[in-house]
Amino acid sequence: MDLLFFKITIVLYLGAALGYLTFLVISSGAQPWIGFLLAVGGFAVHSLSILHRAIFSGFVPLATPFDVVSFFSWVIVGLFLMIRYRDPSPIFGSIVTPLAAVLLLYASTLSYQIKEPIVPVLKTWWLPIHVVLAVAGNAIFALMATGGLMYIVQERLIKTKRIGRLHHLLPSLETLDTINRHGLPFGFFLLTIGIISGALWAGSVWGFYWSWDPKETWSLITWFAYAAMVHQRVVLGWRGKRAAVLAILGFALVMFTFLGVSVLLGGHHAFTGNSRFMGPSRL
Amino acid sequence: MSLHVMVIGLNHITAPVEIREQITFARDHDGSVTRSLLNLEGVEEAVVLSTCNRAEVIVMTVDLENAADRILRVVGEAHGLDVQPYREFFYVKGAADAVRHVFRVTASLDSMVLGEPQILGQVKDSYRHSTLLNASGPVLNRLMHRAFFTAKRVRNETGVGKAAISVAYVAVDLARKILGELTDKRVLLIGAGEMAELAARHLMSQVDRPVTIINRTYDTACALAVQLCGNAIPMDELDIGLAEADVVISSTGSREPIIQPEQMMVAMRRRRNRPIFIIDIAIPRDVDPEVNDIDGVYLYNIDDLQSVAQENLGERQQEALKAEKIVNEEVAKFMAWTRSLDAAPTIVALKDKLEEIRIREMARLNGKLSGLSPGEREAVEIITRSIINKIAHDPISFLRKSGISSKRNVYLDVAQKLFRLNGGLPAELSHHGSETEEE
Repeated sequence: MDLLFFKITIVLYLGAALGYLTFLVISSGAQPWIGFLLAVGGFAVHSLSILHRAIFSGFVPLATPFDVVSFFSWVIVGLFLMIRYRDPSPIFGSIVTPLAAVLLLYASTLSYQIKEPIVPVLKTWWLPIHVVLAVAGNAIFALMATGGLMYIVQERLIKTKRIGRLHHLLPSLETLDTINRHGLPFGFFLLTIGIISGALWAGSVWGFYWSWDPKETWSLITWFAYAAMVHQRVVLGWRGKRAAVLAILGFALVMFTFLGVSVLLGGHHAFTGNSRFMGPSRL
Repeated sequence: MSLHVMVIGLNHITAPVEIREQITFARDHDGSVTRSLLNLEGVEEAVVLSTCNRAEVIVMTVDLENAADRILRVVGEAHGLDVQPYREFFYVKGAADAVRHVFRVTASLDSMVLGEPQILGQVKDSYRHSTLLNASGPVLNRLMHRAFFTAKRVRNETGVGKAAISVAYVAVDLARKILGELTDKRVLLIGAGEMAELAARHLMSQVDRPVTIINRTYDTACALAVQLCGNAIPMDELDIGLAEADVVISSTGSREPIIQPEQMMVAMRRRRNRPIFIIDIAIPRDVDPEVNDIDGVYLYNIDDLQSVAQENLGERQQEALKAEKIVNEEVAKFMAWTRSLDAAPTIVALKDKLEEIRIREMARLNGKLSGLSPGEREAVEIITRSIINKIAHDPISFLRKSGISSKRNVYLDVAQKLFRLNGGLPAELSHHGSETEEE
């Protein structure tokens, strides 16, 4: 029963991914209903899983790396289902659902035991504020990168005049650029206040706001990267392909900061439980 | 009764346009053709379908062999001509072939433009006309509803009607894939010739904003602008036009390209990299092909559009293969249904005969049973009825299921001989099954 909902979610997301990919290979007329319905079902069970973790831990379920990655995946799927209303391209689903499944598979390798008693540092409302802001920002960056990837492919197809099945299945360039245009300010805003909330949290528990911990350093680098992106878009009028490439590079940086740094460089966001301040791990 | 669907008609494949012009069932507006079809011996139900590419009648008949001639005669009379010289243009299809034909026509698999969407509406109108005249009955009602269902399946499950196959539609589809919704986009026509106008018509129907026209002779541009409710600008303002437009259609008679890469690069800077879709339908070309290499510029010439259209047609044909499978499935289902109708008279006759025997025997034993109390008599009734039901149960369910078997006529024949049934049986059932079999 421990992670039952979570495991069902993985199965449903994998099923959805399979549904979408099969659809891409064989059918062409109708909508990929199987993939979509499994994704919706997966999202519902995923929500239950998060609720279950909340009841189990007695607090917001964001205190372990497992929960944070799971929440990240949940926000991505949620945003995808929202965007899908506007543009039901099956390609979007066939990128997002495998991504969600892979994230959950990764989460399942992470520690999910909540050590009792919970360290006071984690038993504060700063935890949900900081994590929700940071994760939501990252999820938006993930969707921007997905959109960017589709943009580059679609742009290439139109430029080289290969107007085939893939072209018809992909959304219009305009739609894909809209994801970037709307996502960038939102994501950047969330990233900014995510970093600020982290600093305030650190200040409230340890007395200093910034300690050049690896995660902090890389977050700052990421922040500068997205600040540059906003600048290019707003001031220089970069859009389309260039914006798409930046969205992909930016997301690579995000993933390194979000997942890579903790594993490779340690610090007080580390996954392992032996960092200086925190005892039990978090992201 | 053995019921057969039958189709007689001509279409764009079997008849040239001069013939199709003559056979149109134009006089059926008042239902006269449909009514004279129903008056024919052996014709029970009728639907008359007429479009610019086909004219056909769909009937339910019990006399497949002789109905064709009679129907053709009516078709001739309806158009005031002798039909004999026209016979070669008509196709006559019966049973499963006819059903398949109706399904294929409705699903737009038999259309001149494969997958075009109008035909479904036209078939629906014809059917409505027929129902209003009370000319359709149980068989054609079911046939037509299954045809609409099949067309819906084909539309939803295949891409037969999806990809654009004319240059004008390809251009609009591409514009949408580049620019999204077109309603608020700006169209620029370069060259005021007929070509530009033709190419722009379909595009302009998607756009709300007035079109801008540029031409070497300003007056011609103005004339066309009046015609298209647009506005004209002189040739030396081309750069402004390029900076503002989202879709450009160029069709001048110029010998040299009129849009150069450098010029376009400047325009892109002015547009702040907003994407632009340029359609060059002029020969020789108006736009230097290198313009396509500029980020955000999508240049298609007439050959490009044509080859996309060609490819899309290939895609539709590919999808049509899937559609044919769906049609075959639905035809098989429909034929199974008509066959289950075939067994019905035999089953009724069998039940009647058994019941008749029971009643006769009960009457014969009336004297011996007279000593029984009403309750006991009731019990005897129930027992005898239950005995014949039990005996009849297996043969009847076998006959019902035999609808799907190819040996159905043999089974029905044997059943009739075994039980010595007669009455209510179509003559052709007990002997030959020549025309209806699918094998």
